[in-house]
Amino acid sequence: MLKPLMTAFAFAMLTQPALSAEDPVATRKALMQNNGAAAALAGGMMKGEIAYSPAAGKAAIAAINATAVTMGDYFPGGSDTDPSTTASPKIWEDMAGFQEEVASLQAATAAALEVSGKAGPADLAAFQEAMGPILGTCRACHEGYRVQK
Amino acid sequence: MAGILRIFLALVLVIGGGAALYAAITPDRLTQSELQSIGEGDAVAGETWFWAGGCSSCHAAEDAEGDDRLRLGGGRVLKTEFGDFVTPNISMHAIDGIGAWDFTDFANAMTHGVSPEGLPYYPAFPYTSYARMDLADIADLWAWFRTLPEVAAKSADHDLKFPFSVRRGVGIWQTAFFREGPAVELATDDPLIKRGQYLVEGAGHCGECHTPRNMAGATDFSLWLAGAPAAEGDGIVPNITGGSGGIGDWSESDIAYYLESGFTPDFDSVGGAMVEVQENMAMLEPGDREAVAAYLKTIPAHDSPAR
Repeated sequence: MLKPLMTAFAFAMLTQPALSAEDPVATRKALMQNNGAAAALAGGMMKGEIAYSPAAGKAAIAAINATAVTMGDYFPGGSDTDPSTTASPKIWEDMAGFQEEVASLQAATAAALEVSGKAGPADLAAFQEAMGPILGTCRACHEGYRVQK
Repeated sequence: MAGILRIFLALVLVIGGGAALYAAITPDRLTQSELQSIGEGDAVAGETWFWAGGCSSCHAAEDAEGDDRLRLGGGRVLKTEFGDFVTPNISMHAIDGIGAWDFTDFANAMTHGVSPEGLPYYPAFPYTSYARMDLADIADLWAWFRTLPEVAAKSADHDLKFPFSVRRGVGIWQTAFFREGPAVELATDDPLIKRGQYLVEGAGHCGECHTPRNMAGATDFSLWLAGAPAAEGDGIVPNITGGSGGIGDWSESDIAYYLESGFTPDFDSVGGAMVEVQENMAMLEPGDREAVAAYLKTIPAHDSPAR
């Protein structure tokens, strides 16, 4: 009874790989949405529009970190011409330079996670210090590797 | 007798036509009376105009940071539909740069788009906006320029497509399209808005990228700041009026915050060519960013043009 189910499940796994591998464009869009939402939370707290809490601060940093460590894998060759992509062709023209930007984002998020500790940055000042370098990498990459819009 | 008269008339026509053509291709210059009232500039005050004017964004090296943004050796290539413009060396180097210029040369370049030799500059150099600056502010800017380092680097030639490669033709373009006076008429005396207008339409030259151009590359003032295709690449320079597709839902403090921090109200980051512009704007006094914001909330709203 169980065996056919397992077989079917295994078959489904084989024929329906995760969305990420099948659709790198949708995946990277989701990752950037994740970054945008985390930056909005971070920015709202930094501007004083959202009350700061260490847990929220850590959530913002951890969310961007998750994007940082994965996003570099979702710009495979050929996905630059996908009809649904709005990514800049410059990414593929200079993949090494683009991956350097991803690496600097990774370095910034790793350092911020480190200082966040288990509970998150204790106060807004600590959060700003941890978050500042991460936010600085947004523009560095968007300057050269994003289509103007 | 009649034959001689005919030849004479033909000569008059040719000479007259030539003179008219010469007048059309020869840029105007500042007059002595305009220049004589201008005193020695103040370099400290000039620094504001340097950042507002974004000189570094085209004339310093591409990745320049910190004091390297003051090294104006040029050499950046702007790839446009007209061909490749190469930004010149405007450092204080006497031979490679503009170190041998005097204030009159500088002011003529800034306000009339004309070189010391009398040749017109391509409007890739946004004198079409800088012309709205007061000469006293240009004198301050020149005083600041005089404090900047010499950079030894020969300026390269532009690589433009015909007919844009004929530089004299730019004189005709200037005659046809170079328009002085405000870009928009605002029925207000609010000093903050007026200051914003002066910054945006003059030194800031925001309209050069944010306003669509006609077939001849001239600014379409009827769609002032309504957004336009980027001069370089396939991107879009956004509509910064209050119309649909613009920034009507941004508050004045949102705009000022964006110019200071590089983050939009929903915390998307600044990108593309605007990164350097925003970094320049971050160098201004907070009141000047507030003035830009007040002006942008005052100008006529346009919906983004269909593309």
